[in-house]
Amino acid sequence: MILTMVIVLILCIILGLPLFVGILAAAMLGFLTTDVPFGAIPIEIFRLANTPILLAIPLFTFAGYLLAQGGTSARLVKFSRSLFGWIPGGLGVVALVSCAFFTAITGATGITIIALGGLLFPALISDNYSEDFSLGLMTTSGSLGLHFPPSLPIILYGFISGVSIEQLFMAGLLPGTLMVGILCLYSVYMGRKWRTTQPAFSGHAFWSALKEAAWELPIPILILGGIYSGFCTATEAAALTVGYVLLIKTVVFRELNIFSDLPEIMKESMQMVGGIMIILGAALAFTNYLVDAFIPMKILAFMEGMVETKIGFLMALNIFLILVGCMMDIFSAILVVVPLIVPLADRFGVDPVHLGIIFLANLAIGYNTPPVGLNLFIASSRFDQPVVRLYRATLPFLLLLLFTLLLITYWPGLSLFLPHLLTS
Amino acid sequence: MKTLDRIDRALAKVEGWLIIALLWAMVVLTFVQVVFRSLYTHGHFHWANEMLGSLDWSGPLVQLMVLWLTFLGSSLLTREGKHIKIDLFGTLLPPKWLPVRGFILALVSVFIIGIMVKVCIDYVIMEMEFGGESLFYLPSWVGQMILPIGFTLLFFRFLIKAIHQGTQMIRGFFK
Repeated sequence: MILTMVIVLILCIILGLPLFVGILAAAMLGFLTTDVPFGAIPIEIFRLANTPILLAIPLFTFAGYLLAQGGTSARLVKFSRSLFGWIPGGLGVVALVSCAFFTAITGATGITIIALGGLLFPALISDNYSEDFSLGLMTTSGSLGLHFPPSLPIILYGFISGVSIEQLFMAGLLPGTLMVGILCLYSVYMGRKWRTTQPAFSGHAFWSALKEAAWELPIPILILGGIYSGFCTATEAAALTVGYVLLIKTVVFRELNIFSDLPEIMKESMQMVGGIMIILGAALAFTNYLVDAFIPMKILAFMEGMVETKIGFLMALNIFLILVGCMMDIFSAILVVVPLIVPLADRFGVDPVHLGIIFLANLAIGYNTPPVGLNLFIASSRFDQPVVRLYRATLPFLLLLLFTLLLITYWPGLSLFLPHLLTS
Repeated sequence: MKTLDRIDRALAKVEGWLIIALLWAMVVLTFVQVVFRSLYTHGHFHWANEMLGSLDWSGPLVQLMVLWLTFLGSSLLTREGKHIKIDLFGTLLPPKWLPVRGFILALVSVFIIGIMVKVCIDYVIMEMEFGGESLFYLPSWVGQMILPIGFTLLFFRFLIKAIHQGTQMIRGFFK
């Protein structure tokens, strides 16, 4: 009976049942088998109102949606163009860096391709970059920058796994830079091969672009600096960021009107928050069942015969997470999978901070992995191209990212160096 | 049908206003709190600490708002059919079958969320009997009312969806 229901549920979920309903149903089925009353579910969901750090999620999302409107993206592109435009393949570097930066300041809420695609893609094409290269670049760059503060996935991972968010922010800096950096090198290499022409560096243009972007550029540094100097907590940083962004958008640039523009942005951003947080509530209930029923222990016992070493575990983890990243968006993947993986990783001696960085890198790559990676579909509709073409166009980028994934996974020092430096 | 749609639209408006009001309150309260706290800890102004003390209710209140915003946002998201989901077959299914799928999934959602409404009402009733005091000396169940209210909103939205998809499905079969 239960088994039939589980199969029906899985079928519904693959068919497109809203994920939070699916997870709630799974929690209910689980509680049925363990004879726990359903009353446990609202108790878990109400925890959303007892966790100060979660306040950061609506605040950072709102700030991100504010930044996505108006001229911020254009100013960022202009600045990075004046900084990197003179390098061979420089426009590719510009695209990668501005996308990563934009993803970071908007909290990785998946609006990068939509906000920057229309700006960068035509520029790449008109500078004679091949169409496949430009498509692949724009698609993959949508998931770069996940590791940089104030990334919401990092906040969620920290909340679910109980790891300090401050340490995670620090740990993500080098791996995140590596992912962007390797793709930049590829773009430079291709640029040399094609002998693209580029304007010479102009100190004057750089200075004027810097002045224009001077309000937005320091945001991540202010957040990081505020948190690490002990000036504020991550949640307080979120409140300050909203205040700052509101100020520059409504007073400094006068791009947004408090009465005519803000209400719509507020509604839109809170829909995004509602979508994520309702899954978070459902996932808390589901996790309660998983822990009650000793599911992580059971998976561990099952794996014991097959996976013996830390390396073996990490390999299995990489493959599993790429599959997950293909099918789920990054938020649900974190909410559902992290509670299962953390006890396993602990058993194999993987540092939970390092695990978080591996996790995000994997999911970012899963986003671009055929056949169902989400980014491929977003890009397909954004650039009006068949998905199959994007499979081919993203392949070189995907391979490079997989290479960095190996580095990130098997070289813990890369992630742990900065947080250790900070604590010692 | 028409009445339902009218209620749906009116409800969406109210939800929108609530979101805007709550988010403004949240932004202002958290911002003010941070400013006073930093004035006190970094500037050593004692009056800032006193102000902070008179704002001590705002912490729990703002956290409760997170839950309100979650449910309101989620309800509007349901209205637009944009919830996060895994959609492996969206492009594979023939268009004729889409309303059938929509109808079945909306029914499943109505059923599961219906259970949640019931469970949450029980939860609040339980809290009425045994719960203590919380914010503003109000009994703690008042804060928890968001759970049954929120799930009822979602229930209503999925119900409308089921009706719409159902009529579309039936029309499709008779065409």
